[in-house]
Amino acid sequence: MATEGDQLVKLESSDHVIIDTDRKTAERSMLIKNMIEDLGSPGEEPIPIMNVSETVLRKVIDWCTHHKNDPPPSAEDDADSRKKTTDIEDWDQKFMQVDQEMLFEIILAANYMDIKALLDVGCKTVANMIKGKSPEEIRKTFNIQNDFTPEEEDQIRRENEWAEDR
Amino acid sequence: MSRSRPMQRTSSASNSSSSSTSPERGADDDNDSFMLQANDSQSSLGMDMSPDMSDEYARREYEERCRVSPVHRLPAELLISIFSRLTANSDLQSCLLVSKEWARNSVGLLWHRPAMSRWESIHNVVQSIRKADKFFAYQDLVKRLNMSTLANSVSDGTLVGMTACKRVERLTLTNCTKLTDLALQPLVDGNRSLLALDVTGLDQLTDRTMMTVADHCLRLQGLNVTGCKKLTDASIAAVAKNCRHLKRLKFNNCIQLTDASILTVADHSTHLLEIDLYGLQNLESPAITALLTSCTHLREMRLAHCSRINDSAFTDIPSSPGHQKMFESLRILDLTDCNELGDRGVEKIIQTCPRLRNLILAKCRQITDRAVFAITKLGKNLHYIHLGHCARITDLSVEALAKACNRIRYIDLACCVNLTDNSVTKLAGLPKLKRIGLVKCSTITDRSIYALAMGEVKNGRRINGVSVLERVHLSYCTLLTLDGIHVLLNNCPKLTHLSLTGVQAFLRDELLAFCREAPPEFNDHQRDVFCVFSGTGVGRLREFLNQQKAHAAAAAAEREAEGEGSLGGNSETGSEMGDAEDGDAVHVNVHGNHAAGATPVVFAPGWQHHGGHHGHQHHNSFDNAAGAAVAGSSVLSQSAPASTPMFWSNAPAGLGLAGFAGLAGFGSAAGSPAGGGGGGGGAQQVTGMMGAAVLDDVDEGDEAFGEGSEIMGDGD
Repeated sequence: MATEGDQLVKLESSDHVIIDTDRKTAERSMLIKNMIEDLGSPGEEPIPIMNVSETVLRKVIDWCTHHKNDPPPSAEDDADSRKKTTDIEDWDQKFMQVDQEMLFEIILAANYMDIKALLDVGCKTVANMIKGKSPEEIRKTFNIQNDFTPEEEDQIRRENEWAEDR
Repeated sequence: MSRSRPMQRTSSASNSSSSSTSPERGADDDNDSFMLQANDSQSSLGMDMSPDMSDEYARREYEERCRVSPVHRLPAELLISIFSRLTANSDLQSCLLVSKEWARNSVGLLWHRPAMSRWESIHNVVQSIRKADKFFAYQDLVKRLNMSTLANSVSDGTLVGMTACKRVERLTLTNCTKLTDLALQPLVDGNRSLLALDVTGLDQLTDRTMMTVADHCLRLQGLNVTGCKKLTDASIAAVAKNCRHLKRLKFNNCIQLTDASILTVADHSTHLLEIDLYGLQNLESPAITALLTSCTHLREMRLAHCSRINDSAFTDIPSSPGHQKMFESLRILDLTDCNELGDRGVEKIIQTCPRLRNLILAKCRQITDRAVFAITKLGKNLHYIHLGHCARITDLSVEALAKACNRIRYIDLACCVNLTDNSVTKLAGLPKLKRIGLVKCSTITDRSIYALAMGEVKNGRRINGVSVLERVHLSYCTLLTLDGIHVLLNNCPKLTHLSLTGVQAFLRDELLAFCREAPPEFNDHQRDVFCVFSGTGVGRLREFLNQQKAHAAAAAAEREAEGEGSLGGNSETGSEMGDAEDGDAVHVNVHGNHAAGATPVVFAPGWQHHGGHHGHQHHNSFDNAAGAAVAGSSVLSQSAPASTPMFWSNAPAGLGLAGFAGLAGFGSAAGSPAGGGGGGGGAQQVTGMMGAAVLDDVDEGDEAFGEGSEIMGDGD
C-alpha cells in the first residue's frame, strides 16, 4: 500500500533536468519538506532546486535515499560536544570520497537544501582534511594562495603563539 | 583586487565580533543565494567584497579562483562551521596562518575561549591583547574567560591585563582567591555581554565589584558568589533589581545576606530556575515563602544549613479556599540540617511540590514516620531521597516508601537506627536502585545484604535482569559478615563503591589490601577502622574472595579424597590445588608477601565462618580449620536465609569464579603488602569500635553526605 512517504516527487535541477524521487527521501531536505507542506501535497509540477546542478542533485538524492529512515536528530545532537567530534560512519566516508569540486558542491547544496545531517558530514570531512596539518600543507591540500606578507604572517604567528600547546 | 588591499585592522574587527547577525557582507552579485545567506558575524571582518566585484572582470576572476581552488566557493559561515569542528587550538592556529580569508574566519573561534591554564599562554594572550598595533581586535573576540585552573596563583596583576575584554560572556574565576575588586571591578565595568559570573571563593570581593555588575551586566543570567563573605544585601539587592534575566543564583555561605536581599530576589527575579542559599544562617522562613510563591519556574532550591527555617516557610504559602498554590516546576529541594523543620512542613512541601524528584532531609532530626508517609505521595516522581540522621523514622514508613516510590535510584538512611532488615529487604526490590546508604543502621544483618544482592525477587528469581546497584554504604553495620558481602559482590557486577568502615569482619590485613587509602586528615583511630573499597578495589576484593572460596573448596575436596588430612599439610595441599585451577596467585599470596618476622596470613578452609568471633585474631579460623573443612564448599552460603537461593554451586570454582572475568589480574593485585605491611597478622582487628564515636562526623562526611554534589549531577 502506498503511503504518503512513497508519493512521487519531481525535482528540477538548476540545469533543468527533472529527477524523480519519493517524498520521504526528498523530505530529508527541510527546504523541500517546507515547500511540500506549503503546497499541501507534492503536486504535479516539479520543485525547482535552483542552485543545484543535476550531477550534484543526483549525488545528494543518493545520500538522502540511504539515510531516509534515519531517526530525527535529538536535541543532544546539537550540543557542542557532539558537534566537535569528527567521526564519520563508513558509508558516509565512502560517499564523501569525491573530488574537491564535488565535495564543496555537496556542502553548498546541503546548506541550500537545508539537510543538516549531510552538511554535518561534509563539514566533518573537510575538518578531517585540515587536522594535524601545517599551514603550508593546508594551502597545498586546498590549493590556496598565501596572501600574507612574511611580516604579517610572522606577526599573526607571534600574537597567537599561545595556541600552539595542546 | 581585494587581495592587494591592506587588511582592515581593529576598527573593523570590533564591530564584527558580536554574536548577533550582521549582514554586512558585501553583495557579490555573481554569487548564488548561498552567499546571500552569508551573514555570519565573522564574514564582515575586513571582508573586501567591494562593489567592483560586480563587474564582469571580477566575476571571471572569482570563477577562475574557484576553479583553481574549489574551497573558495564556501561562504564564510560554512568555513566557520568547518573550523568549529577542530578541537585542537593548534589546528585552528594553522588555519589562521593559511590566508587572510581563513584568518578572518578562524580567529574568532580561536579566541572564543583563550587557553588560560599555563602561564606562558596567559602571558602571550595578555601581550597580544594589550598590543597597540595588533592584527585583530583580539580583546573583543574573547567570549569565555576561565582562570580556575591556576586558581589561587592568579593575581590582580594577571587579570588586569584582560580588562579590555568587554565582550566576555562567561567569566569563571572559581577559587582565584587572591583576586580583589582592584582587578575585577574594571573588568566587569562596561561589560554588557556578561551572562555568567562565577567568583566562588573570592572572599576579598566586596560590594564595589558587585554594584558594578548590577550597573553594567544587565544580561546576567547566572551568578555564583559562593563564599564571598564580604558581600552584603546592598549589592545583591541591586543585582536582583537591575539584572532581570537571572536564572541561576548561588549565594552559598555569603554569611552577611539576610531576608532583605532574598526578598528582593523574590520580587524581581521571576525567571529564576535555581537558587542555592547554603549556610545562610540569617535567613528566616518568610524569605523562602516569598521565593517559592513568586518564582514559579523554580526548579531547584537548596537551603542546606539555613538553620532558622521552620515549618512556616511552607505552611505560610498562601492558599485561597479550595485552591492551593502549586509549584509544579520544583524538582530538587535540599533542606539538609534545617533542624527546625517538622512533619507539618514536610507535609505541606509534598502537597505543594508534587513533582519533586530529589528531596534531601538529612539531619532534619525532628521528622517522623508522618513525614515519610507524606513523601510516599510523590510516587514515581521521587528518584532521590536523603533521610540520614532522621533517627525517629521506622520500618513502618520506609517500607511504605519502598512500595510507593519504586523509581528511587538513591536512598540514604544513615543513622536511622530504628530501621531493620525489614526496611532494607523492601528497598532492595527497587528496580532502579543504584546507591543505598545504610551507615550506622547497626541492627541490619546479612539478610539485608542477601536481599540487596538479589534485587527484586519473584518466586525466588531475580526479575529485573542484572543488578544496577553501584554504591553501597555499610559502615558501622557491625553485624555484617564476609558471607553476605561476598554474595553481594558476585551478584552486583556494577558495584564501584562499598564502604565497610568499622565492620569487624573486614578489618583484616588481607582484605584491607584492596581498600582505598584513608583520607589524609584521618587520625590513627580513624585509619584503623577505615575500610572503603572503590573503583578497581571492588573487583579485586571480589576476585580475592572468589579465589579463597575456590581454594577452600579445592582443599576440602582434596581432604575428602584423602580422608581427613592433617592440619599441618593443609595450606600446602590447598595451594597446589589452587595452582591447578587458577594459576599460582594464591600460592604467591600465602608465601611471598610478608616481611621477615611477620606472620604469614594463611587462609584455611572455613575461614569465612567465624561471624561470632570478629574480635579475635583470624588464626582462630586456622585452628578450627580441620573441623570446618569437612563442611566443604558450600560453607559460604550456610548462613543465608532459607528463602535465599543458593548463589554458590557446589562445584569448586563456584558461580563467582565463572561469572566474573579478570582473574588474571589477581596475582599482582594480591602482591601489594597487606595493610601497608604493618604489624602483620590480625593486629588491626582489635582496635574495635573505639574509634567509631570519634569518627562520627568525619566519617559521615565521607559516607553520608560527601556525595552530595555528585548526586545532584545525577538527575538531569
